[in-house]
Parts: sequence; C-alpha cells; structure tokens
Amino acid sequence: MAEMEVKQSSKKGPGVKKGKKLSTRVDLTPMVDLGFLLITFFIFTTTVSQPTAMNLNMPKDTKDPNLDMKVKNSGSLTLMLGKGNVIYYYYGDDPTKMQTTGYKAVRQIILDKKKSTPAADLFIIIKPDKDATYKNAVDILDEMDINDIGKYAMVDPTPDEYSLIQKTEQAGGVK
Amino acid sequence: MARAKIKRGSTSVDMTPMCDVAFLLLTFFILAAQFKPSEAVEVNPPSSVSNKVAPEKDFLNVTISKDNKVYLMMDPKIKGAVLDELGKERNMSFSAQDKKNFENSDFIGVPFSQLKQFIALKPEQVKGMELPGIPVDSTNNELKAWISAAINAQMGEQLNFLIKGDDAVKYPTFKAVIDAFKANDQYKYNLVTNSKAVPEGSELYKKNMMEHNAEKK
Repeated sequence: MAEMEVKQSSKKGPGVKKGKKLSTRVDLTPMVDLGFLLITFFIFTTTVSQPTAMNLNMPKDTKDPNLDMKVKNSGSLTLMLGKGNVIYYYYGDDPTKMQTTGYKAVRQIILDKKKSTPAADLFIIIKPDKDATYKNAVDILDEMDINDIGKYAMVDPTPDEYSLIQKTEQAGGVK
Repeated sequence: MARAKIKRGSTSVDMTPMCDVAFLLLTFFILAAQFKPSEAVEVNPPSSVSNKVAPEKDFLNVTISKDNKVYLMMDPKIKGAVLDELGKERNMSFSAQDKKNFENSDFIGVPFSQLKQFIALKPEQVKGMELPGIPVDSTNNELKAWISAAINAQMGEQLNFLIKGDDAVKYPTFKAVIDAFKANDQYKYNLVTNSKAVPEGSELYKKNMMEHNAEKK
C-alpha cells in the first residue's frame, strides 16, 4: 500500500525533460515502533487499574455489658478521628489527656505503643466522630494493616469525648 | 572457473504488514479499554494496601457518593430473585414489565415509592439526574429491606457485600450503611479501594518479605 508503481512514460516528445525518479517508498519502521509502544502502554494501564477490596469485620452489637471485651488500660490506645484530618489520641482511659496528631505521624505513635506494650495487651480503639470522613476511617484501618495490629475495634466516641473534641476544635479554630 | 553470481537481495524489509498489525492491535486495545462498564455513580474510593481483588460474582454493592447518597448495585444474576423477594417482604406487586425494567437498570438510587418510575427510565435518561438515593436514616432504613431481600433471595448461598464510598463521604453515612448490614446479622464486608504500595520498612512490609523468603526456601 505504501508503495505505488510509478510508470514513467519515456516518450513524451522532444524537449520534455524527464522528471527525476523519486522513490515513493516510506520507511514505516518508526510508525511500527510507535504502534507497539502505544500497545504496550495500553496493556499495562488496563491491567493495573483493577479495584481491590479491604476486608472489614465488625463485631456483633451486644446489649449485655458482661459480654463486652475487657481491655487493659495499660495496653489501650484510643484514636479519635476528628474534623479536618486531625487525630486525637490518648493512652488508657483518660480522654482529658488527649493529644493531637495527623495521619502521617500516627504511624510512629502506633509503632511506639506496639513496642512498649506486651502483644497480648495491645488494643487500639478507633473512634471516628461525626465530622470524620470515610477516607479517614479507611486510612486508619489501613494503618492497622500496615503496622500489623492484631486487635482493634471501631466504635463511636462517648458524648464526653465528642464534646472534648469539639472544644479542642473550637479552641484550635478547626473548621 | 567463474564463480556463480549471487543475486544481491535487498536488506530493507517491507514494514507495511507489521505496521498494519500494530495499529490493528492498538485499535483493539483502545476500544476494549472503553468498553469496560461505565460507572453508574461516579465515586473516587480511598486507597489501601490490601491486595485482594474485589469479588465480581454474587455481589451486592452499596455505593456511597460524595454527597452522602446511597445507591445499590447487584450481580445481574440475582436481580430477578431479589425483586420477587422484595415484593413478598414489602407487600409490593411487580408486573412482568417492572421485572424486565429492573433487570435492565444499572443501579437503584431512589426510595421504594419511586422505584417503578425509576427503573422504567433508560440509562441515558438517568445520567445527570438528581437522585434522592436510598434512605438509610434510623427511622426509615430501606437499605435494610434491600439487604434482607438479597440475603433471602440467595437462600443461604454466599453473598459478597461490597461497600464503595467516596473519599469525601461523611462517617455517619458509612455507619448508617454498616448498621443496615448489622440489622441483618451481616458482619463481614469488603471495602472497595484503590490499591497502594505497602510502605517500605513498615511491619507489614517486613512480614510480607519474610513470607516471600519462606516461600523461596
């Protein structure tokens, strides 16, 4: 297709100059190169974009307080997810001592807690409040996976804790 | 003796057929990439390190859009049975035409009261429409009824519950969806996420490396 036969009529009468014969052959190698490059690109991009799924198992809701899991104060770390990608965390059971951190720095806090606590006692409580986003919850669950935390639970913050977060947010001017 | 003359062949190869093949394949891949089922509801899910592929069979997908509205999608195979079951549980009657419409619709994004009108619409008509979503409030949790219908329609067969939420979804909406599942005694979900590489040097990274090494030996 790329070549076309060009017939030069030799007899055109006197005085008519012969046109120079130019090759009509086009080198298709670069075009082939480009074609295969694009093919490779499309193959790679189509296979990579498969969605993955993260497993989430929730506990059964029980009304009976005796069935609630007992958590040792010394081994617990509570992470409260607040507005504007901020995490409030405290050790044990005293929410008034909570400190503030973000999603990047929380890994080190979890790791430090993991190192300083016997594996059997370690328990992380995740409390996303009303202003947290779904992304925040997934990120923190992912963080549990990344840091290989065996025991964690996702529950709602108590009203006290929520008002404490709101007070901190107001004081800090978080919108 | 005179040596036989060897005809000198040309070293240039005709690239035309190769070019044809390359572009044919290219066209095929471009078209195939577009034919992937278009998302009925546009959602940008968060990313996680999980490497499990989302199940594509026997699924019930609850999608939460960024304006906190809940939509439901399901495996086309179970659609007919789910609608029958829903009709029984909620005392609603569906005609054969309703059933056909339901099987053709991509997703459900309206309360029961508008369901019949909604499924009669064509996908092109639904696009760009402002949809109310499925109610998930504690007073009127219709998602609960849908889940219950799907479970009963499956008759004990395994059903994969997928939850796909946008980055911007507020936590209470997600919790309302979880509560709807919990009300049906379902506690295992798959959260649909984009994959992301495990951070180097983290605990999980070390664990994966150790497993990898153990496999080698």
